[in-house]
Amino acid sequence: MPNWPAKPSVVGGNTTRIDAPAMVTGAAKYSSDVQTSGWLYGMIYRSRWPAAHVTSVNVDKARQVPGIKAAVVEREGGRTVRFYGEELAAVAGVSEQACLDALRAISVEATPLPFVVKEEIAKDPDSPRVWPDAPNLADPSVKEQGDVDKAFAEAAAVVEGFFTTPVQIHHPLEPHGNTVSVTKDGVTCWASTQGIFSVREGLASYLDVSQEKVRVITDYMGGGFGAKFGPGAEGGLAARLSQAAGAPVKLMLTRFEQSLAVGNRPSSFQRIRLAANADGKLVAFDMDAYGTAGIGAGTASAGGGGGAGFPAPYIYTVPNIRVKQASVAVNAGEGRAFRAPGHPIASFGMESILDELAAKLKMDPVEIRLRNDSSQIRKREYEIGADRFGWKRKYKPPGSSPGPIKVGVGCGGATWGGGGRGSQAEAQINPDSSVEVRCGTQDLGTGTRTLVAVVAAEVFGLKPGQITVKIGDTRFPPSGASGGSTTAASVCPAIFDACTNALQKLQETAGIADARGANWAGACKKLGVNPLTAHGEWREGLSSRGVGGVQFAEVEVDTETGFVKARKILCVQDCGLVVNKLTCETQIQGGIIMGLGYALYEERVMDSTTGFVLNPNLETYKLPNFADVPDIEIILMEMPERGVIGVGEPCTIPTASAVANAVANALGVRVSSLPITPARVLAALGKAAKPGGSV
Amino acid sequence: MSERPHNEPFDKEISRRSFLKGLGSVVVATAAVPAGAVAAGTEQIEKLGAEKTLGPGRVPITLTVNGKSLKLNLEPRVTLLDALRNYSDLTGTKEVCDRGTCGACTVLLDGKPVYSCMKLAIEAQGHDITTVEGLAPVGRLTDVQQAVVDNDALMCGYCTPGFVMTVTSLLRNNPHPTADEVRVACSGNVCRCGTQHRMLAAVLRAAGAPVAETIEVIRSA
Amino acid sequence: MNSFQYVSPHTVDSAVSLVTDHGRFLAGGIDMLGEMKEYIASPRVLVDVKKLPATRAVTPGKIWTIGANVTISEIEQHGELKRVFPGLQQAAAEVGSPQIRNVATVGGNLAQHSRCWYYRHRDIQCLKRGGNTCYARQGENRYHSLFTGNPCISPVVSNLAIALAALDAKVIVRRGKDEVALTVPDFYAKAWDNPEAHHSLGPTDLILRVQIPDDGRTCAYKQISEKASFDWALVSCAAAAKVDGNKLSKVRVVLGAVAPVPYQVPAAHDYLEGKELSDDVATHASEIILKDAVALDHNGYKVPIAQALIRRTLKQLVG
Repeated sequence: MPNWPAKPSVVGGNTTRIDAPAMVTGAAKYSSDVQTSGWLYGMIYRSRWPAAHVTSVNVDKARQVPGIKAAVVEREGGRTVRFYGEELAAVAGVSEQACLDALRAISVEATPLPFVVKEEIAKDPDSPRVWPDAPNLADPSVKEQGDVDKAFAEAAAVVEGFFTTPVQIHHPLEPHGNTVSVTKDGVTCWASTQGIFSVREGLASYLDVSQEKVRVITDYMGGGFGAKFGPGAEGGLAARLSQAAGAPVKLMLTRFEQSLAVGNRPSSFQRIRLAANADGKLVAFDMDAYGTAGIGAGTASAGGGGGAGFPAPYIYTVPNIRVKQASVAVNAGEGRAFRAPGHPIASFGMESILDELAAKLKMDPVEIRLRNDSSQIRKREYEIGADRFGWKRKYKPPGSSPGPIKVGVGCGGATWGGGGRGSQAEAQINPDSSVEVRCGTQDLGTGTRTLVAVVAAEVFGLKPGQITVKIGDTRFPPSGASGGSTTAASVCPAIFDACTNALQKLQETAGIADARGANWAGACKKLGVNPLTAHGEWREGLSSRGVGGVQFAEVEVDTETGFVKARKILCVQDCGLVVNKLTCETQIQGGIIMGLGYALYEERVMDSTTGFVLNPNLETYKLPNFADVPDIEIILMEMPERGVIGVGEPCTIPTASAVANAVANALGVRVSSLPITPARVLAALGKAAKPGGSV
Repeated sequence: MSERPHNEPFDKEISRRSFLKGLGSVVVATAAVPAGAVAAGTEQIEKLGAEKTLGPGRVPITLTVNGKSLKLNLEPRVTLLDALRNYSDLTGTKEVCDRGTCGACTVLLDGKPVYSCMKLAIEAQGHDITTVEGLAPVGRLTDVQQAVVDNDALMCGYCTPGFVMTVTSLLRNNPHPTADEVRVACSGNVCRCGTQHRMLAAVLRAAGAPVAETIEVIRSA
Repeated sequence: MNSFQYVSPHTVDSAVSLVTDHGRFLAGGIDMLGEMKEYIASPRVLVDVKKLPATRAVTPGKIWTIGANVTISEIEQHGELKRVFPGLQQAAAEVGSPQIRNVATVGGNLAQHSRCWYYRHRDIQCLKRGGNTCYARQGENRYHSLFTGNPCISPVVSNLAIALAALDAKVIVRRGKDEVALTVPDFYAKAWDNPEAHHSLGPTDLILRVQIPDDGRTCAYKQISEKASFDWALVSCAAAAKVDGNKLSKVRVVLGAVAPVPYQVPAAHDYLEGKELSDDVATHASEIILKDAVALDHNGYKVPIAQALIRRTLKQLVG
């Protein structure tokens, strides 16, 4: 079985991203930057009704608009649309302006239908049905173990709470979209995607062409977070426009559309009861939860589904449990896998109620976690983190902070799978000593390109800068989609294998025992004219599954204005063997900042009367800006013996929980709904004026 | 909920009538306006010292981008961002929100960071426009760009050109900013991957300020 | 955006002629282009006012003059202005982001339109857009007004307006052939009575400059938003007064983002006149100011924020 070197020279170091120079100069070409010859601009026409029976979509006038080269309807004949933003037609033309004018020349005949967009209302059997044959509230999934009612009756302490989390929108900065060129020779698609092969498969199927005629390229892409698998409706429409126009079509979504139609993290409404013995050992957990994934469970992905379910009681061992979870449909865009699907939701409810229980028992929150979390890794992380954070010094019982600006601390833990699976790669050694490594994977900003260079450099005894890395093309050996924090664990072993095989072949050809270092040039020269290539694939022994992670948060809350300021977040994170420290750490910081957004700012707001998303922009859907980001301290707990695992998701899971617990610790009362806005803080403090009231 | 009426395509006839109305001339009937009356109206405007009215169709414009003249034919409604990305090959500047809320489209206008998505190309004439492509010769990096690379202040890179422009302008005007000054300067740039912490360190280090390391690596026991 | 003609006149007379009733003025463009991109506004001609004479300067004096096209950045960075009118500088520093401040103008900031998310939605024809319904009233009104004079409940969002109101500034407007000087309350008065109005300007009215008396008063401005930067105020407050130790005179306290107009209550000014500022005095003043506040379903939290901001802004005056 292969092994990572015991004393690596490149792996585990701090190699800067090999594509960073291209990105900081604007030279990097993203799918949205592609300007292939003769390209046209594409745009989608979307439903303006949250529910309607559409009888006709007429694009004839759109075709006549100057500059328009093609206009297609999404499908012929009547259909029912079920959310504001559903795709109805698309146009392609010589400019964005021509497309805008063309969209306004499209006419639609439709009969509006009743709709519902709020989960609490949709649950009611009398509310309008999103799908005709099924009630909005699905039958719950039920999990039971032990005797919950007996355990609650006998417990020393019982707490109850109702926790809610909002629909969160991925909002990768590069929108969804593709540049697609369909000719008689085949299809080329420059996709902004997390899975080039998923786009290839989807387009081939949609266009009914053979897969080997479809090439997908993703040289650079501007973020996905789980929302970008498959060609999407926008990819299919771009392809049809290209066919109709006889020219490549670049169809990128606008931020408005990103807010409607390309996925989200489902909401949650969690009623939880938790009970423990006097010593803090949990004995019973009872949950009744629902949430919405819009019109459906959404697209399942490598990283997990887009449905509204989530693991409970998350990371804690409880002998008696009853968990009922149900999905409720509303007339809004579908959920899709979003960075650790289900886990931030699970963590928020569980970590919040656990702190309530700790308060009731007058137990230290870290203490109660150590008592009930069976993960040795996380126990170690809590000890290390508590020490570095100064937990013993900083923790005070809830609400003890004096003055109007109250300070509090909180914590929470994470679990995630990660791990790798099938990936293939090819290494090529040229007679002039240069090296090229090819793999059909993609870099979402996660640093995959750099990891390939690092692993190849390690094997060949070269520097990462000496490796030419080619990724993001379905012409390269296939690799999986980038989701579930599986990319590093899938790709790195495959690169290791390919390079090891190439090195072996080189040594055999050159008749040298060790071709690395001073021998490299000479060995390569012996190849003669042709380069040497070797294939490789993922193998056991270089990766594994299962990580933890804990986070501590310190906040200050202005009890007069409700304003929450995150002061510090400390994270202790394990992820097995760290292939490249620099980029791993950046990823962890990124996850924490995304978790902070979930905690304090982000919320998709639906309007009941119109059925519209009220904040389809980055002005009122709020992402953390520079000044919102607190001090972040990371302790990376290396476990190289476990091989490569993956860290992109665990690092975002417990942030909101830690922050929410810190707020509750500061105030002495809990805000049990995310995001924790000034409005919610003041309401929890009983200071907000009641409707109709004043001072 | 009533259907919103579509905008009518631009109607030159209506516009001429309005011009004349505005000049206080005789109220024009709904019949077509004679061409002579239009010419008279335009001359009167020019006599009043106005610039020529341009559009709505494509108009030749000249943008000074990275020290070079960029000659384009654009409708007045084309933004500077659109002009750079879609009417030219300067795709370094990114489109993320098109509403002046995220900073990915930041360019320097006479040295000051502005949102190119909220600036019409036609009104950007006569100004010095700097895009990310214009900061350093091909193959070279400025100190700011190098600091971003060295400090790993980027992930997917889509917000990066905008940040680089903002930070470049900051350090040109304030070579030794405090951390709070950096935060204020960067408050108009959004990053979804979460590189703000890295970017703060990169800027401070580029300015020669010491930045404490906040990452520790330990081996599990 | 729709198609339009563009013209950049060199005189105010031309500008006012060219705008007609199918055109709009273009200053910094942040608000104008934002509305146009949603097709909320579709002017046939955009009249760029940035080249108009006598609109670009900040002129100190017994009465300061600030040209309509002075940018928010220029206000923010003007050393002398910061010394004399610190509250105005603080208000400017909180406008949008640096990129916005570099192009946004004083005139544009005052004249900007509602940010109500119903008003700003491309497919909602709300009361302010000439429709029949204020959707916010029974809907998502967390950001909306505590004080209303008409069925539209969207609040004024200009930071500068709040500070300028406290400073008794005047807005000089070209109206028809004349120049009129509007107090800040008059500038916004129409928005109190008329749901379709954002302010009292007619479609061809053009802001020329703002005049602020330097009468020995100091001023302060504070706001609270959900984020620490680049976010609309949930509530803002500006206060101005002559300060003698702890004693206040010629006091103004103005609230922003709680009414269609910069909100002030003369009775509070009367109460504060000649008082030594203390927590009790500030609290009593806030009670007077907020007396007529009526919380909607989701904006009751604005009341305690307003109370806190009134206290803190007054406190900042005495230092």
